[in-house]
Amino acid sequence: MTAAESPRVRLGVLAIVMVGLFAALFARLWYLQVLSSESFEQAADANRIRVVQVEAPRGRILDASGRLIVDNRVSIVVTVDRVLFAQLDDTEATDMLRRLAEEASRYGSPTTVEQLLDRVNDQRYSRYAPVPVAEDVTEELKIYLEEHADLFPSVAVERVAVRRYPYGNRAAHVIGYVGEINDTELDDRQDKPKNYIRGDQIGKTGVERIFEDDLRGTPGQTVFEVDASGRPVRILEDLSKPPIPGDDVWLTIDLSIQALAEDLLAQGLDIARARRPSGNNPQNEATGGAVVVLDPRNGNVIAMASYPTYDPADFVNGISSSRWAYLTDDANHFPINNRAIQGQYAPGSTFKLITGYAALASGLREANTPFVDKGTYTIDDCSGQCTFKNAGSKAYGTVDMSRSMTVSSDAYFYSIGADFWNNRGRLGEEALQESARLFGLNQETGVPLPSEQSGRIPTPEQRRRQYDANPGLFAERNWFTGDNVNMAIGQGDVALTPLQLANAYATFGNGGTRYAPNIATKVTRGRTETSVKRTVDARINGTIDMAPEIRSPLLDGLIGVTSRAGGTAYGTFLGFPLDSYPVAGKTGTAQVNGKADTAVFAAFGPASAPEYAVSVIMEESGFGGTAAAPLARKLFDVFAGVVPPPELQPGGALVYPEAATGSPTQEQLASAGSED
Amino acid sequence: MLASVVAITLIGTVMVFSSTRGNDPDSVNTTTLQRHVVFVATGLTVMSLVAMFDYRRFRDFALIAYGGVCLLLMAVISPLGTEVNGSQAWFQLGPFQLQPSEFTKITVILVLASLGAQFAGDIDLRRLGVMLGVAALPLTFIMLQPDPGTAMVIVAIVMGILLVSGVRAKHIAALTLFGLTALVGVLNSGLLEDYQKDRLTVFLNPSAGLQAEAYNLNQSKIAIGSGGVLGKGLFEGTQTQLDIVPEQHTDFIFTAVGEELGFVGAATLLLLFGILCWRIWRIAQLSRDQLGMLLSVGVLSMIVFQLFQNAGMTMGIMPITGIPLPLVSHGGSSTIALFAGLGLVQNVHMRRFA
Repeated sequence: MTAAESPRVRLGVLAIVMVGLFAALFARLWYLQVLSSESFEQAADANRIRVVQVEAPRGRILDASGRLIVDNRVSIVVTVDRVLFAQLDDTEATDMLRRLAEEASRYGSPTTVEQLLDRVNDQRYSRYAPVPVAEDVTEELKIYLEEHADLFPSVAVERVAVRRYPYGNRAAHVIGYVGEINDTELDDRQDKPKNYIRGDQIGKTGVERIFEDDLRGTPGQTVFEVDASGRPVRILEDLSKPPIPGDDVWLTIDLSIQALAEDLLAQGLDIARARRPSGNNPQNEATGGAVVVLDPRNGNVIAMASYPTYDPADFVNGISSSRWAYLTDDANHFPINNRAIQGQYAPGSTFKLITGYAALASGLREANTPFVDKGTYTIDDCSGQCTFKNAGSKAYGTVDMSRSMTVSSDAYFYSIGADFWNNRGRLGEEALQESARLFGLNQETGVPLPSEQSGRIPTPEQRRRQYDANPGLFAERNWFTGDNVNMAIGQGDVALTPLQLANAYATFGNGGTRYAPNIATKVTRGRTETSVKRTVDARINGTIDMAPEIRSPLLDGLIGVTSRAGGTAYGTFLGFPLDSYPVAGKTGTAQVNGKADTAVFAAFGPASAPEYAVSVIMEESGFGGTAAAPLARKLFDVFAGVVPPPELQPGGALVYPEAATGSPTQEQLASAGSED
Repeated sequence: MLASVVAITLIGTVMVFSSTRGNDPDSVNTTTLQRHVVFVATGLTVMSLVAMFDYRRFRDFALIAYGGVCLLLMAVISPLGTEVNGSQAWFQLGPFQLQPSEFTKITVILVLASLGAQFAGDIDLRRLGVMLGVAALPLTFIMLQPDPGTAMVIVAIVMGILLVSGVRAKHIAALTLFGLTALVGVLNSGLLEDYQKDRLTVFLNPSAGLQAEAYNLNQSKIAIGSGGVLGKGLFEGTQTQLDIVPEQHTDFIFTAVGEELGFVGAATLLLLFGILCWRIWRIAQLSRDQLGMLLSVGVLSMIVFQLFQNAGMTMGIMPITGIPLPLVSHGGSSTIALFAGLGLVQNVHMRRFA
C-alpha cells in the first residue's frame, strides 16, 4: 500500500459506507410511506378527530284527540368542561367552585362545593362533553355566569331538552318516565341504530319504554379536530350531523276520560275508607285500585287509571333517592306500580260470567232450568267443609241462569262448580279453567306496556305438580269438589288484573272477539300529524264461539244487574237512561284473608253494541256494588251523554260543567248499591 | 454543491414554517420563521467568510480554536450555562442561545485534519494516540453536559478522518471494537440519565418503554407513514399542523417533510443530500493536499452521520437523540456551524489548483 494510492482506496471505502447508509434510509422510507401507509393514515385520523354525540329531543306523546301529554321543554343547565377544569391549579379550581356554589345558591339553586365537585368527578360522563353540575337553574343565574365568564373558567351554561308534562301527572302509569340509561340497558342496546352513550335518556317504563325506538331521536354528532393535548381546534362541519328529533306516539287514551277515571278512583277510595265496615269486618283501608276503559270494538285502551300514582316530572334531571324510596315503599302501597296490569286480584262474582258461559257451552246446564236457591249449597257425599253460603246467607228462591247472574246467586254457581267436577270424566278436569282461558285469563293480554302480569287460574294438574315438587309447602295434593265450587264464584286462588277483567267483558260484549288491547294508534314523524310512520292495527288474540242461545241468557242476566229490581247494581243505576243506553254489568266482592273485601265491578254498554267496557277494582273497599259500581255509573253518565264531559284544563285539573252537579259528591258515589 | 445546499435550505425553511405556523387560520405565526431566516442568513455570511481565506492558514489557528472551544465547553457545564431538556449545553445570550458543542464539531474537524495532514499518511500507534487524545478532551466535556447525540457525531467525524488519513486497518478494527464495548459500558453505567437511556433504546421496542419516548417515536412514524406517496400537501399534514409530533421544527423536522410532501418529497430531500455528499466527496478526492481532503472528509462524515441518525430516528431505525437534520432543522448554532463547515469545503474546492 503506497502513500499515494492509500487515500483513494480509503475514500472509496468511505463512499461505500455512505451509499449503504443512504440505501437504508431510502428502504425505510419506502416501507413506511408506500408499503404500509394505509395503517398509518388511520392512526393519523384517530389522532386528530374526536366525535361528540349530541342527544336529540325525544318524540312527543299525544292522546287520541291530539292533546300533548308529554312534550319537551328547555332546561338551563350549568356545565363544566373537564379538560379546561383540569388545567386550573388547585386554588383556582377551589375558588371557582366556591364562587359558583355561592352564586347558584343566591340565584335560587342551592348548591355546595362538594356537590359540584362530585359531579365534575363523575366518571359516567364523556370526557369531551361538558359535565352538567346544576340543572334547571334560573335565567338570572345564566345571565350572571355569562356576564362574569372570566370568573368562571371551564364553566358554561347550556339549554337542554327535558320532558314536560302539560297535564301534570295524568296517565302517569301509562306514559311512564324516562331516566338516565344504566349499564344493562347500554349493553342491551349496543347494536341499535340510534346509538346510546352514557348519560343518555331512555324510557324506563310505560309507553316511554315500549316505544323507545320511536320516541328516541337520532343523535347528531359534532366532530372536532383536536390538538395533541385533546383541545378542540375546530368543528369539522361536513362530518358533523345535526340531531333529528324522535317520532311522536299517538295514544288510544282519551285524556279527559283518563282524568275522570283517575279522579273518580281517588274519590271512590276516599269514600270507601270513610265508610264504616258492617259487623266484624275489617276496616276498609282502600289502599289502591284501578279503573280500565276499553273500546270493545277494537281493544283500544281509552283510560287506564291506577291509584296511588306518581308524578313523572319527579324524574326529570334525575329523581332524588328519597323520592324514589317513597315511590317503591310497601308502606305507601307502591305508587310506582301500574295496578291495572300488575295488580292481581280475586275477581269474585265477576267470574260468574265465565262459569255461566262454561255451563251453557258445555251443555252442563240449560239456561232456563230452574234452581232453588236456599241461601246455602251443600256438596253431596262430602267430608270437611261441605256447606257454602251465599253472601249474607240470603236466599233467592227459584232462579235460572239469567236471574242468578242478576242477583248474583252464589248457590246456583256453586252447584255448577260441583257438577263440573262430578262430570269431569265427561267434560274434563279443567272445564272452568278452559272457559277462563277463552276469556283471556291466566295469560297476558298483550297490551304493549311493560311488566304485565298474567293472573292465576289454578288447575288440579298444577296443584299436583306443585305438591310433588315441594311436599312440605302445600297442604293438599288433590283437587276437591270444594275447589271447583270456590272457583265458580271467582274465589280460591283465582286472580286477574283489572285489564284482563275489562278485556273479558269486552270480549263477551262484542260477541266473542278477544283483542289484544292497544295503547297507541300511530307513530308520526317530523312533528306533523299527517306524516305517518306506522299505524297500530287491532290485534285479535282469539275468538269465542258464542251462539245466541248461550249469549242471550248471560247478557240478559248482566243487563238485569243494572236494570231490574234485585240486580246488584240496580240502585246504583237508578235514574240512568237504561232504555236508550242499556248497561250490562256484574258486581264482585272478593274475600281476602284478614282484610276488607276487594270491591269489583265490570260492565259494558250500550249492551247491544258496546262502545265501552269498564272494569273497576278497589282494594280493601267493601262491596263491589257499593264501592266499585258507582264509579262505573259516573263514567257511563258521560258515555251516554247524561252528563257533559268535564273539561280538562292545562295542568290536568278537571272542570265540571255548571249544569251538572259538579264533581261527584259523596252521597252520589255512596248511593245505594245493594250488596253483592 | 452550492445548488444542493440552497435547495435543501429552502425546503428546510418552508418546513420549519409549516410546523410552527400554528393552527389558527386567522393569524399565522411567523416568529420561528423569522428567526430561522436570520440563522440562515448568518450561516451564509459565515460560509462566505470561511471560504474567503486560504484554508491552509486555518491550520495555524486550529490550536487556538481548539483551546477556545475547550474553555467554552468547560464554561457551559459550569453554572454559566443553561439547562434545556436535561442537557446543560447552552449559553443564553439575549433572545438567542449559543450551543458550543456545535462549534466543537468544526473545531475537531480542523484539528484532526491538521494533525492527519502533518502525519502525512504514516500513523503509528503513538500518533494515533495523539489524535484520539485530542478528540477525547472535548468529547468528555460534551458527555458531561450530557449530550450523547453530539458526542456520537464527533465520534463519527473522528472515525471518518482516521479512516482516510491512513490509520492502519487493524487499528481501526480494534477501535471499533473498543468503541462498541465502551457504548455498552456507558449504557450500563450511571453516566447517562434514565431518560437518555430510554430515548436511546426505545426504537428497538416502541410498544414498551417509557410513555413519552414511545409516544414520540410512534407519532413520528405515523406522521411519515400517513404521508403516503404524494403526501397530504403543504400545511395540510394533520400530525404537523395539530402539533401532535413534539419538537417537530427542530429534531423531528423530517416527519413534517414526510407527512406533507410524501415519499416523493422526502426522497427528493434525501436525493439532494446525496448530491451534496457526492459533491463533497468529489471535492475531497480532487483536493490538492491531504489537509483539504481531510477537512472535506470531516465535514462529509458529520453531515452523513447527522442525516442518517436524524432521519433514521424519525423512522424508527436509529435511537432518539437530540441531533438536528443538517440545513433543515431550526437551530442557530447548528445552522451556523454547518455553514461554516460547508465554507471550509468550498474553500478547499476553490483552491484545488493553487
